[in-house]
Amino acid sequence: MAAIVAFLIVGVRSGPLRWTELLSSSTWDPTRGQFGASAMIFGTAAVAVMAVAIAAPLGWAAAIAIADLAPSRWRRTLRAGSEMLAVVPSIVYGLIGIAFVRPFVARFADVPGGDSLVAAALVLAVMVLPTVIAVSTDALAGVPNTIREAASACGLTRTEVIRSAVLPLARRGMGASLLLGLARALGETIAVFLVVGRADGRFPASPGDLLTRLVRPGQTLTTKLNGPESVLAGTSGAHWAALCALGLLLLGSVGALTLVGQRRSRPRVGSPDKAADGRSLARDRSLRWPGIGRVRRDRLTRAVLVGALGITLLLVAAIVMVVVVRGAAALHPSFWWSTSVGGSGGGIRNQVAGTAVLVVVAGVLAAPVGLGLGLVMSEYGGPALARWLRSATLILGGVPSILLGLWGYWLFNIQLGWGRSWLTGSILLALVALPPVAITVASAVAALPAERREAAHACGLRRDQMVRSVLVPQALPGLLTGTLLGLARAAGETAPLLFTAAVFSGAPALPSGIRDAPVSALSTHIFTLAQDSADPAAARTAWGAALALVVVAAVLVVAAVTARRRMERNLR
Amino acid sequence: MTAVRVRDLVVSSGERRLAGPVTFELPAGTTLGLRGPSGAGKSTILRSLVGLLPHPLSASGEITVLGVNVLGVNVGGVNVGGVNVGASRVDLPALRARAALVGQTPVVFPASIRANAVFGVRHVHRASRAALRDRARAALSEAGLWDEVADRLDSPADQLSIGQRQRLCLARALALEPSLLLLDEPTSALDAVATAAVEAAVAGLRGRRTVLVVSHDQAQLDRMCDHVVSIGIDGPG
Repeated sequence: MAAIVAFLIVGVRSGPLRWTELLSSSTWDPTRGQFGASAMIFGTAAVAVMAVAIAAPLGWAAAIAIADLAPSRWRRTLRAGSEMLAVVPSIVYGLIGIAFVRPFVARFADVPGGDSLVAAALVLAVMVLPTVIAVSTDALAGVPNTIREAASACGLTRTEVIRSAVLPLARRGMGASLLLGLARALGETIAVFLVVGRADGRFPASPGDLLTRLVRPGQTLTTKLNGPESVLAGTSGAHWAALCALGLLLLGSVGALTLVGQRRSRPRVGSPDKAADGRSLARDRSLRWPGIGRVRRDRLTRAVLVGALGITLLLVAAIVMVVVVRGAAALHPSFWWSTSVGGSGGGIRNQVAGTAVLVVVAGVLAAPVGLGLGLVMSEYGGPALARWLRSATLILGGVPSILLGLWGYWLFNIQLGWGRSWLTGSILLALVALPPVAITVASAVAALPAERREAAHACGLRRDQMVRSVLVPQALPGLLTGTLLGLARAAGETAPLLFTAAVFSGAPALPSGIRDAPVSALSTHIFTLAQDSADPAAARTAWGAALALVVVAAVLVVAAVTARRRMERNLR
Repeated sequence: MTAVRVRDLVVSSGERRLAGPVTFELPAGTTLGLRGPSGAGKSTILRSLVGLLPHPLSASGEITVLGVNVLGVNVGGVNVGGVNVGASRVDLPALRARAALVGQTPVVFPASIRANAVFGVRHVHRASRAALRDRARAALSEAGLWDEVADRLDSPADQLSIGQRQRLCLARALALEPSLLLLDEPTSALDAVATAAVEAAVAGLRGRRTVLVVSHDQAQLDRMCDHVVSIGIDGPG
């Protein structure tokens, strides 16, 4: 974490940089030494805000339907269903954006090609949705049932109970879901890259111009950093400094949102909420709809909430179907076992092998480090260190992966002189997988009953013996599931690999050595093919590889869930 | 007039019987106590009267509350109160507004004392702000809490002591002007002083309201009720 911040600061200081120009001008012209990023900052903000504005109402409504309206035995299934949206890698969302959202925007808003900020926002909205739903469902599930019962006992209808008794208590956590969703939207790179158009554009001159800008091609901070400029700029000088400054802006905003969001998503105990004043009464009365009976209003509201959940599940089904139908190429075994030929033909054998190497080594790196970090957080560190480490880990989890990629490029490719290397890729993917590992280990240890720890001490065990024989076994299920879930995420990552570890062609199936030993990977393969979407052969291969990638991620997630169930049963 | 008629009520979780069978009647305008050892399912029976059983539990038998056939089965009996529900679905929220339940542990909402007092009534009845204020005052007085909170109606309700909170819950129920009040061990979570205050409030309702109280404390029920029915684990005793 600190290394990434330090890298960006070193980068910023490596060349002359005028912050005022960066923030106020919209002329970005490296050849003339002009670096104004206001248009990109606008693009980033516009895309993220639009995405959250779509995803938040839908996600909140769906979360209420899951937590408060669905029969309790369906809750887990419905939640898991909505979380499928998070399993799909962002490169696949990019493909979907190219195939469906761009044509939609092109027809609807008369934009040639459809590349625009709006298209990016629509794709992002779907990607942010699972975050909003998961955090909100947790917040709603955290409201004690006694509250619901007490409100029902006063004769309130189901939706009146939700509005007057449940939401005031869940408001904080549901607000946090908005911040975390926003952080996710700001940091997303690959899916946006493929549909945003990547024209620097200009800062809107007037409110009317703002609307026009939204349906024109634009640029965001992440897509700028993911572009070719990062590699062309060298690693010092004004151009590199300006790029690093953009990275610092991005990291600052995403980090702050993640931190505040995570803080607020945990319930605060004991202190009264803001709703605890007399005004809540007045506010509530003004919400009353005149002219509709309570029972009908209840039914109507319920229908709307369940409808939102329905839309979410339809999205899941549609995405699964699209990936399977379009990726039909991957249904032939030969596609998996033959090497790719030329620009777009052949199979994906080397890409599968490369992804496997990257992911397996990343797992080998992330598991022990994550276990150690989790143990330090929960056992060895004092409360202050633990809190600090936890915040750092959470922020690391939210760091836009493009920044990891730039850092890896700068440190390993350039400073250490490795060139493109599979090991860099594995290290970066391990960093992607690390936060879930450490957090699940820490919470597993924290959930250990104090008596068991005492009993171990009472047997005369020293601390390290106690850790080895009590804490580590307790943490193992968490370690395994955390690693598998982290790797499921890492397997789909594209941005960290583009400059550091992967090449489109010319890499052997398995790399030898470390220096200048790139691999091919599924995600970067799709990324390159996707930018050639006019070629039907490229599209066919890209979708086939996308299905393969989704299958890999899904297998890891299913393995994680199965392992958790089995080990939880054994622990009991 | 019969406010509650329960006949052969059994509450079970799957195959397992949790409470009953139990049969009793509560005439309107009286206070009835349900007594039984802990574990006899007193609270469960009380909850089943207004359809507040937790998820896997189910009730069988006959329950008529304020003329509403709660279990939704048309048994052809004489429904009191003139509400004909028959086999149609029961409007439970409407029933709960007329048969208000006060739980064992006081649950206050994160809002002001006044907002808590009118929490239910502001949804159930259309009333002006002024009318709601009057209703809050009347209910708080009837629950014996008015003198203690009159000067801080807009401060958060969770600043109250636990005994005051329980009386606030009572006021919340009374504000609905219910035809029937269901009290589930209203003092079991309270200390002696708070218990005395709640008991006094409930005793003050005697003769003016129809009340069904559940408790394990025979002496307390004798002080508060006109009649007492005992429930054993193996049926009415």
